[in-house]
Amino acid sequence: MEGWKEWKDRMRVSAGSEYRSILLPFHLSILFAAAVSCSDGRTPLVVYSPHGRDLLLLAERTFETLYPDVDLRWLDMGSQDVLDRVRSERVNPQADVWFGGPSSLFQRAAEDSLLVPYRPSWAALTHERGHGPNDLYFAAYETPAVIAYNSDALSDSDAPRDWEDVLDPRWRGELVIRDPIASGTMRAIFGMVVQRSLRATGDTAAGFRWLRRLDAQTREYVFNPAMLHQKLIRREGVLTLWDLPDILVERSKGQPFGFRLPTSGTPVIQDGIALIRGGRTPEVAKRFIEWVGSPEGQLLAAREVFRLPVRLDLPHDSLPDWVSTVRAALVVEPMDWELLGREGAGWMTYWDRHVRGRGARQ
Amino acid sequence: MKRSRGGLLLTLVLIWLVVYPLALVFVASVRGEAGWTLEHVRAFVTQPQEWNALWGSLWISLASVVLAGVIGVPLAFVFERLEFPGRRLLGALVALPVVMPPLVGVIAFLFLYGESGIVPRVIGVVLGLDRSPWRLHGAGAILLVHAYSMYVYFYLFSRAGLARLDESMVEAAASLGASRWKTLRRVTVPLLRPQIAAAALLTFMTSLGSFSAPYIFGGGFRVMTTQIVNTKLLEHEELAMVQTVSLAVVAFIGLWLLQRTRGTRSVAVMSKGQPPKAQVIRRPLARWTAAGLGWALAAVLLLPHATLILVSLVPLGSWTTQIFPPAYTVGNYVALLSEPERLRPLVNSLWMAAVATAGVILLSLWAGRLVVQRKVRLAKTIELLTNVPWAVPGTVLAIALATMFSVHAPAVGRVILVGTVVILPLAYLVRNVPIAAGSVLAGFRQLDPSLDEAAVSLGAGRVRTLVRITVPLLRPAIFAGAALAFVTALGDFVTSILLYTFDTRPISIEILSLLRQPDIGSAAAYGVVLMLISAGAMAIGIRFFR
Repeated sequence: MEGWKEWKDRMRVSAGSEYRSILLPFHLSILFAAAVSCSDGRTPLVVYSPHGRDLLLLAERTFETLYPDVDLRWLDMGSQDVLDRVRSERVNPQADVWFGGPSSLFQRAAEDSLLVPYRPSWAALTHERGHGPNDLYFAAYETPAVIAYNSDALSDSDAPRDWEDVLDPRWRGELVIRDPIASGTMRAIFGMVVQRSLRATGDTAAGFRWLRRLDAQTREYVFNPAMLHQKLIRREGVLTLWDLPDILVERSKGQPFGFRLPTSGTPVIQDGIALIRGGRTPEVAKRFIEWVGSPEGQLLAAREVFRLPVRLDLPHDSLPDWVSTVRAALVVEPMDWELLGREGAGWMTYWDRHVRGRGARQ
Repeated sequence: MKRSRGGLLLTLVLIWLVVYPLALVFVASVRGEAGWTLEHVRAFVTQPQEWNALWGSLWISLASVVLAGVIGVPLAFVFERLEFPGRRLLGALVALPVVMPPLVGVIAFLFLYGESGIVPRVIGVVLGLDRSPWRLHGAGAILLVHAYSMYVYFYLFSRAGLARLDESMVEAAASLGASRWKTLRRVTVPLLRPQIAAAALLTFMTSLGSFSAPYIFGGGFRVMTTQIVNTKLLEHEELAMVQTVSLAVVAFIGLWLLQRTRGTRSVAVMSKGQPPKAQVIRRPLARWTAAGLGWALAAVLLLPHATLILVSLVPLGSWTTQIFPPAYTVGNYVALLSEPERLRPLVNSLWMAAVATAGVILLSLWAGRLVVQRKVRLAKTIELLTNVPWAVPGTVLAIALATMFSVHAPAVGRVILVGTVVILPLAYLVRNVPIAAGSVLAGFRQLDPSLDEAAVSLGAGRVRTLVRITVPLLRPAIFAGAALAFVTALGDFVTSILLYTFDTRPISIEILSLLRQPDIGSAAAYGVVLMLISAGAMAIGIRFFR
């Protein structure tokens, strides 16, 4: 306190120190800028990813232990944001690897020549459905969409078993979902509905009718995952449509979530990985992609953060139990990801203009 | 009027930083792949949703101005004119909504007044209700948050105006037989007009550019800021540019209208009389009633802060259907301090806000010297240019800067800064030009020019005069402007989200990342840290300002 007073008095009396005090933020900032620009000699590898902190921190620590000369720097953002960023940085690319997101988005990037082909050594050991055209991207995990519920409020036998059941009058106003424009998972689910309608009737109208009925069930579209999570555990709604890994992670942290794999089939998002054109350290980036698909990388992600491995050659006894349970019950919806990539934005625009908030009026 | 190379240079710098990027956005909105086109403009005007969003932005902003004014101005009168126990402390506490962090600050409202929040649950228990008596979403929720966080502008500005008011004018009115009400209406309020207009402008622009509240509460309610983000997510880049332009146009119309009502500025500065003393309430009952009401009001205003602190102390997901959290932990703070990765954004935000603040203060001093002291020929233009960022919502400014600095063409003044560490501090700087320049220019206008002349006649050089005479005398203005600029930059979200890189990842983006996790407790803990730093910076600014 005394020191503070003294300092203040000195500031008052001496105009010279005034000058210094004005420049103080300036000096400080130069110091900080110097500190920031100083690297520790490791090669920086910049990764854009929607995978979330849990997986990214795990990847950072493990990968850096494996390659002590690499400084893995990840930026965590929505998958659509990754595409947006990679696009706007086209003239001055900042990132080396795009890690995570549905293949429809990777396809958009491929069309804009934002990716560089790289075929990882593990590609041959995975499903064909996860391979992008011309080796531009490959699925690293498979992410099924699920119907999730608050397991304190609902028992497993009460929860809807299939998409159709979600439209039951019982759930009117009980459904809380992510805003589909901002969420890759929701776009995949909506895309599935429209594609089913196309297959059955040759037209999208039936699909949008279905989505209108879903809109009537929906209490709220939530922009942010944290808010969705809070609204469910605080029981503003009891039902949601979400992706499997997130639900399993939350459950492992003791959160009251249950899930059902829809019996008629569910979109399995091919969670991709790709090299970004113009990245500064393509060799290190390739090493990272190799690691993500390596047995160690896949098992670590499956055990710690509940990512469904894309590799088919992993020994059964080393996989956690949930993998075999899910694989046994999973009915994979035949999705045309290319069509979704091409038409998805248009469908969502139509939905936003003609469906959102209108279901209840019917 | 003097010709001055400095004046020309500063004008060019301001045009380059402020006008040029906006012009590029405007061009982008009427340019397609095949040259000039009005196709996107047509797509915009024929869509009722776009008009809905624009209308939503406009009426929300106007209503925010009215609500914030109705709360802020009377509060300023109470705290400036009445003397009661605890007035000083309460007067400072009432200004605290200004340091509410982005996103988590809004989320605190949800935990307090939202459907499953504390207040509806208490009401539910008392009245025996099954479901919440209300839902906090849509326009009402946005207005609540805006009124709460923006009345502070009216409060602070009106208080500053009242403190400078000349009592002799009020006395004159009274001696001429005017009633108290008439004096207020005909003398005091007109004298406060410049301050109220400035606060209205700031509120209008802030709510026009407001993103957090519509993002969290919007649901189906459309405003332009969230509409732009959605359009970008739907990959209609050009339409997003048209939307950006439409928002900027509304903002400029608002600026123009409010500039007109601002009135002649000289009125308030003309005299050098004493401000009226605060009226001591003598009757003990009235005195304690006033104090009680004051404390109750402060308590209500601080509830969101308290809620944020509460949320930061809750173990992950343990607070479900109870009114208050069933368990508490400091784990969120421990995690914050023990993981070095999490402290980086704090350091980043601090240095960037410091650089931006230092830069904007230097720019303002330069502008003040040219406009007020040397009265150069371009003075009016310079002052107008410093005001332009007012009229640009943060989202628009970020898009404009991102457009401008993503092309390498030095011949037309464009270089690649997107993706470098420079762009974000630069954006903070540009955004804060009106705040800092406004404060510093006002400071220059209160300076006695004879002091400056005396120093020069005694042989002091230009720099020496500035450093030894002008800057020390300007200290209150500089610190007030710097504190506001620093706090704004520290908590910025809308500009940052478009322009940040790994090296410049700021606090608000870290909070967003924690919310994606979803780890609301850690996000709240980070918000509390940000709140404390901001409050500290404001306190330092106000100390020197008094």
